[in-house]
Amino acid sequence: MTTLESSLSGPREEPVEAPARRAWWDRFDAAALRASEWLNPILVKETRQALKSRQFGITFTLVLACAWGWSMLGVSMIGPDIYHGSHGYDMFSGYFVILAFPLLVIVPFGAFRSLAAEREDGTYELLSVTTLRPRQIVSGKLGSAVLQMLVYFSAVSPCLAFTYMLKGIDMATVVFVLYCAFLASLGLSVVGLVAATATTEKHWQIVLSVLLLFGLGWCFFIGMAMVLDGLARNPIPFQDADFWTFNAALLTAFTSYFVLLFCVASAQLTFASDNRSSLLRVVMLSQQALFTGWMGWGFLHERGDLEIPLFYLMDSGFYWAVMGVFMNSESTEMSARVKRQLPQSFLGRTFLTWFNPGPATGYLFAVVNFFAVCLLAGTAVLANLLFFSGRASGWLGAAAHQTVMAFAVVELCYLIIYLGLGRLLAAGLRWLRHPSMLLSVLCQVLMVLLGCGVPLTIHLMMVDLRRDYSLIEISNPFWSLVEVIEAKALTGEVVALLTILPIVAAIVFLANMPSVINAVRQVRIARPKRVVEEDELVELERHPPQPVIDPLAAD
Amino acid sequence: MIDSRPMIELRNLHRCFGPTRAVNDVSFAVGRGQVFGYIGPNGAGKTTSMRILATLDQPTAGDAFVDGFSVVNDPDRVRFRLGFMPDYFGTYSNVNVREYLDFFARAYGLRGAERTRAMSYVMSFTKLDTLADKPIDGLSKGMKQRLCLGRAMIHDPAVMILDEPAAGLDPRARIQLREMIRQLAADGKAILISSHILTELAEMCDQVGIIEQGRLLAVGDVAEIRRGQQALHATSMQVRVLGDSAALGQWLTARDDVQEISIDGERIVFEHLGNQEAEAQLLREMIEARFRVIAYGSQTRSLEEVFMHVTRGHVQ
Repeated sequence: MTTLESSLSGPREEPVEAPARRAWWDRFDAAALRASEWLNPILVKETRQALKSRQFGITFTLVLACAWGWSMLGVSMIGPDIYHGSHGYDMFSGYFVILAFPLLVIVPFGAFRSLAAEREDGTYELLSVTTLRPRQIVSGKLGSAVLQMLVYFSAVSPCLAFTYMLKGIDMATVVFVLYCAFLASLGLSVVGLVAATATTEKHWQIVLSVLLLFGLGWCFFIGMAMVLDGLARNPIPFQDADFWTFNAALLTAFTSYFVLLFCVASAQLTFASDNRSSLLRVVMLSQQALFTGWMGWGFLHERGDLEIPLFYLMDSGFYWAVMGVFMNSESTEMSARVKRQLPQSFLGRTFLTWFNPGPATGYLFAVVNFFAVCLLAGTAVLANLLFFSGRASGWLGAAAHQTVMAFAVVELCYLIIYLGLGRLLAAGLRWLRHPSMLLSVLCQVLMVLLGCGVPLTIHLMMVDLRRDYSLIEISNPFWSLVEVIEAKALTGEVVALLTILPIVAAIVFLANMPSVINAVRQVRIARPKRVVEEDELVELERHPPQPVIDPLAAD
Repeated sequence: MIDSRPMIELRNLHRCFGPTRAVNDVSFAVGRGQVFGYIGPNGAGKTTSMRILATLDQPTAGDAFVDGFSVVNDPDRVRFRLGFMPDYFGTYSNVNVREYLDFFARAYGLRGAERTRAMSYVMSFTKLDTLADKPIDGLSKGMKQRLCLGRAMIHDPAVMILDEPAAGLDPRARIQLREMIRQLAADGKAILISSHILTELAEMCDQVGIIEQGRLLAVGDVAEIRRGQQALHATSMQVRVLGDSAALGQWLTARDDVQEISIDGERIVFEHLGNQEAEAQLLREMIEARFRVIAYGSQTRSLEEVFMHVTRGHVQ
């Protein structure tokens, strides 16, 4: 019997019943305590801390004071015209600036500091030895940020209601702008949390905090400029269907990136032997599917406009290049814990192996996904020819079909080449020493920059070639891809790119195959005996065996 | 059925930081209800191995197990069974004792009445119940240590890892902490404790392990280690004789198993190479040689002396 059990088994005093007629505050307190059982422990702790902290008190009071101060100032400036004119927008602008500063700067930076301080002070280690999962830690911090946002909203909301009464701004605009501010604050908070998990080194934390502060300040000013200038020029077109479509697409992108960043922050906090990658790959695939869906809708809506598959290729190529660089930088070692969860069936191994952590599977995952994007873009070109009478877009010209297809091939080849070389480079770095993910990513970025910078320097030194694209630039994916679009025909350079790049891509791809085959060969291992024992015990507790009833037994 | 599985087990544990081998092939086991003292100079690898056990770090090679679960492959199952008290406080600002314990109880998944009971038990065990509403920042060092012990045991773990829990405490607080640890062991918990206060460890530990430069130099119960070291090293002996002590000195000088003889009146002190059997044989021979021995005895090494003998004070 353990300490606690022995203490519990003895006679213990029953809790003293509270008087029947308790004060309403006590009842509220008890109800809040009961409700807190279902809340994230970090949220509960941080709320308690915040309510006692000087920083929160000062910020809240300042927001309140500024809001009241602006009310006084604004009303006195408007003067008697307040009864006749429409001054709601002017007052709203001031309140929005007062509200946006804590929402876009203080709350996200507070989320960053909250997690970073846990790591600096060592309290994060105490958290990580509890049974809290990394996801709960991140959601707790995020929940605390949301709570702060709501408190700031509540401080300014009476003032916002006041602006509506002044006329000049409608309720829909107020709600929509506040909704955008809330989403922006939420997005920036999750960025802050990712930044806090990026490194444990003190000096990097300082660099990151300065960068984040600058970034948040920039977002605040840009946000202010966009909202205030936009509102001043044109009212929000709530009646326009395209406005809602655009916002739905934006919300989809926001949600998917929010989930991705949330998973990134959780993965950074996950124990090294655990699977940090598979969930991220599922999110990436979902993002790609959502983007494909929106692009497909756009293609049909625009009646087969070939600019859409071209944009789809550009955006997806960049996306998979970035994600591929990160996947290339993953550890090659697969822990026994991960091996226990590997897919076992034929179908599972065929389709799910690419979700297994590791650079080799990551490389192929990125390449296959972008290959699928290219196939879809090709399908769009075919659909354009078959169902939209080969309608070409304005600026792509008559050879738009060729341009899109050539662009897809060239971009796919560059992705295979650069990600393949990046994976080999990362493997070489790992062989020399154990680089951090950041170092591995930086080396791959440097490789791409060299691939662009070296030929560009040579090119610029050759007077007669300065302005025109030449094959010296073949290692520069950006200029080469621009050339494919700008040529608007299969020029000599484009044909050369379409000839040389697939050969190089095939060589690089084959050079990466041994690692990929090795990753595919990984098979599931059995759970240790102790784990099986405990799982069986838990299962038995959950589903106790039913007593066998003999129907022939005497009653 | 009696569970014979060790609650803590280190199997050929290695941890390297670049060229430095912080932990080098360390193996030992701790059973239920046992207190294992982990001794070593600063930088010997104690904290590193404890951090690996607490699932805060990963070994370079080898593995460690808590209640049969690997800390590398099943950290979630290990955490449920483990209470870790590091060598720092790790407290939050603007939080009082009750709120602090409440937070960790929630973090371990304790809900409702279960959490209330666990908190009241822990506060009573660590004698913090009178300070429940006091802010943590205002607690003394001894009180903070108690609070940290309370935090480590809030979920009633079967295994506790305590890294330098008595560091910086006054004698009274140390004695109280020792009593608490004894009580926890009596309740069946396996405890791994590191400390520099070796006399205390000798009193409360069933087993000790001496580590230096990442290597476990000696492991076993305290008496066993003392005996083992005495078998390997010279034992300090003291003899008192009536009459000619110089003659006994000469007689001893002629022997191979005796060295470093010093004579102070009727008292002779020397180093004897051999075990207890050889000590008895030496006394018999002295008497047979007609020396009038009135006192004869060896000086038992304290844990501190054993520690000084075994370790060389090297750091990596």
